[in-house]
Amino acid sequence: MNPAETESTGLKLHLISDFNLETLGHYLANGGTSPQVSVSVAPFGQVFPALLQPAHAQASDFALVWTSAEKIVPTFPNALNGVAVSEDRIFAEIHQFADCLREAQKNFRAVFVVSWTIPLHQRGNGILSLKRQGLRRLLLKMNLKLAEELENCASIYLLDGQRWMEMVGKTSYSPKLWYLTKTPFHAEVFRRAAADVKAAMSAVLGASKKLVIVDLDNTLWGGVVGDLGWQNLRLGGHDYLGEAYLDFHRALKGLRNRGILLAIVSKNEENIALEALARHPEMVLRLDDFAAYRINWNDKAANIVELVAELNLGLQSAVFIDDNPVERARVREALPEVCVPEWPDDKTLFASQLLELDCFDSAYATLEDVSRHDMYAADKRRQLSGKEVSSAEEWLRSLDTEVTVEELGDADRVRVVQLMNKTNQMNLSTRRVSEQELQAWLQPGNRKLWAFRVKDKFGDSGLTGILSLDLESDIAYITDFVLSCRVMGRNVEKAIVAFAVQYCAGLGLKELRASYLPTSKNKPCLKFWMSSGFLFDETGNRFTWLLNEPYPFPDGIKIHHSHHKGASQQASTPVLRAGQDASLAVFSD
Amino acid sequence: MTMEGTKSLEPLIKEPSTNRANDLDGVLQVIYESVADLNMQLPAEQQIGKSLSTILFGGGGKLDSLALANFIVITEQKLEESYGFRIDLTEDDPFSPTTGHFRNIESLATYILELTAKRPSRGL
Repeated sequence: MNPAETESTGLKLHLISDFNLETLGHYLANGGTSPQVSVSVAPFGQVFPALLQPAHAQASDFALVWTSAEKIVPTFPNALNGVAVSEDRIFAEIHQFADCLREAQKNFRAVFVVSWTIPLHQRGNGILSLKRQGLRRLLLKMNLKLAEELENCASIYLLDGQRWMEMVGKTSYSPKLWYLTKTPFHAEVFRRAAADVKAAMSAVLGASKKLVIVDLDNTLWGGVVGDLGWQNLRLGGHDYLGEAYLDFHRALKGLRNRGILLAIVSKNEENIALEALARHPEMVLRLDDFAAYRINWNDKAANIVELVAELNLGLQSAVFIDDNPVERARVREALPEVCVPEWPDDKTLFASQLLELDCFDSAYATLEDVSRHDMYAADKRRQLSGKEVSSAEEWLRSLDTEVTVEELGDADRVRVVQLMNKTNQMNLSTRRVSEQELQAWLQPGNRKLWAFRVKDKFGDSGLTGILSLDLESDIAYITDFVLSCRVMGRNVEKAIVAFAVQYCAGLGLKELRASYLPTSKNKPCLKFWMSSGFLFDETGNRFTWLLNEPYPFPDGIKIHHSHHKGASQQASTPVLRAGQDASLAVFSD
Repeated sequence: MTMEGTKSLEPLIKEPSTNRANDLDGVLQVIYESVADLNMQLPAEQQIGKSLSTILFGGGGKLDSLALANFIVITEQKLEESYGFRIDLTEDDPFSPTTGHFRNIESLATYILELTAKRPSRGL
C-alpha cells in the first residue's frame, strides 16, 4: 500500500464473527485513536464462508476473527453440558479451523484471532475444572492448541480475549445484550478489545515505540536528589514506596530486555544525579542501562529533541514519563509526536501503569531487537572515537566497516519485512508489505532483493539495509532502498548504491533508476540521493545513473557476498574493495 | 433492648439509599452519564444530547436497536452502582413503540422512578 494513501484514507479492517460484533466496529471506527481505520463486517454467523471466500479480502488490510468456541468446535458444547469428550476430536476440529485461518491470511496483511473464552459465571466442574476432563482445563488446552497451530504463521496473531473479560469483571458477559441483540459482551469489553486491536495494527505497521525517556526525581526514585543526597532517596529498603520505585526500575529493565531503549531527561546537576545512579546500593537501573541522557536545567522539550536526534530516532518513537504534570503538559504541547501518557500521582501504581502501556507492542522479536541497547552502546563508543580523529573521512576509514550482502533467504525474511515496515528516514519508497506480499512480489524472475549486514570494529549492527531491483528491458529500477537509522551516515548508503550499479552493469543494462516517494519523514533519504551523483529529474523525483559510467566505491568499507548454503556453510566472497570501480568488477551470483 | 455495655447496632445498619432514586435530578444524572458512555462508541452524527427532550428510540431517534440495547445495559449498571439494587429496564419490551419508555430521556427518567417506587421497602 502506498504510504501516502495510508496516511490520508486510513486502513481497512474486516470483522468476522459468529455473533454481533457491531459494537466493536463502532469503537474501532469512532474511537478517535490511531491508526484510523474503516471497518467492514462479514455477514453474521458465516465464519467459514467469510474465511474461505473473502468477498472483502482484496479491499481490507487486516481481518479480525472472533468466534465462540461452541460454534467453531462442534464437540465443545458437549463439554459445556457435562458430557465427556474426546480431546483428539476437539483438536481435529481446531486444526480444521486453523486451516481456514491459514487460507484466509493470504488475503490480508495480518489476521488477528481472538482466543476463546467462556463466561466468568460459568463454574464448570467447580474444583474439578482444572483436572482432566475439567472445563477450564479443556479450554486452556484448546487455546494452546490453536496457538500451536498458528505459531508458524507469520501474519496471524492470537489476541488474549480472556484478559479483556478479567479486566471488565463479572459484567463482561451480558445475558441481556445476548438475548436482545446477539451481542455476548458488555460494551466495555469491546472498548478494551478495540484498544488492543489498534495496538496490534500499530505493531504490524511498525509504529511501536522504541524509546522510553524518564525523569529522575520522584519518578525513578523518591525525593529530590539535589536536596536530599543520594543516601536519603526513597529507593528499595524496607519501605513500601522504595519497593514500588524498585519495581518500576524492574519494569523498565524488562522493556530494555525486549529491545526498547531507555533514556533520561532530568532537571538536575548532572554530577549529583549520575553519582546517585552509580552509588546507590539498591539502584536496579545503572547508567549503562540508558542509551542517552540529558541532565541539566534546560527545557525538557528541547532536551528531548536533542536526545532523540542523538539516537537517530524520530520523535514519534519516544515515550516520556515524568511525575510532574507541568513538565508532561509542556512536552505534550511542544512535541505532539512524543507519547506522554498520563501518569498517576500514586507511586505504587508506577510499575503497573508502565506495564499496561500498549505502545511498545511489537509484531516481531528478532535478535536485532533484543540487542538494540548493546548496538546503541557500541554506537556511543563509535561516536566517541570520532572525536579522536581529525576528519570525518578519516573517522569513517578507522571504523573498518564490513558490509555483507546476501540475497533474501528464509532466515532473513522476518527481519527484512520488519525493517521495511518500520524504517522511515532512509527509505526511498516507504513501501509497507507483509511477508506474503513480499514473497508474491519476488515471484517474477526479473525482481531481486538483497539484505545487507553491517559491522565494524565496535560491533555488529546486524541486518540493517535492503535493496530491491525491478529489471525491465535494459533499465533497472530500485524499488526498495532502506537503511536503518542505526548505520546512517557511515557511507553504507554509497556501498549499497555501488553494489546496485555493479550488479546491473554486470548484466549489461543501460540505466539504473531510483524514484523518491516523499513522506513526512524521509527527507534524509532525499538528501542522500541528491548528493549521490545520480542525475536528478525534478518532475518525477527520479534519479538516474548511466551504467556505462563507473560508480566510485566508498573508502573504508569492505563488501562481501554471502551465498546461502545453510547456516554453517555460508561462503563469503569479497566483492568490492575500497577504491574499486563498481561498474568494472564482475558480479558473481 | 440492648445488653448493658453494648452499643445498639441500629445506627450501623443503613437502609440502601433511595434518596437518589426518588430524586429526578439524581436519575437524570445517571442517565446523562450513560449517554456519555454510549456516545464514546457512536459516530458524531449518531451521538445523542443530554436534555429531557432528547429523542432516544423510535421516529426521529438516533439510536438503532443495538445502540438502545447497549444504552439499557449501561444505564442498568450505573443505576445499580448508584442505588445498590438492580433495576430491570426491560420488564416491558424496550423495542415496542406502544410502551414508549425509551421515547426520550424524560420518559425514561419517569419509567425509572416508577420502577423504583414499586420496589418493596426493606425491613430490618
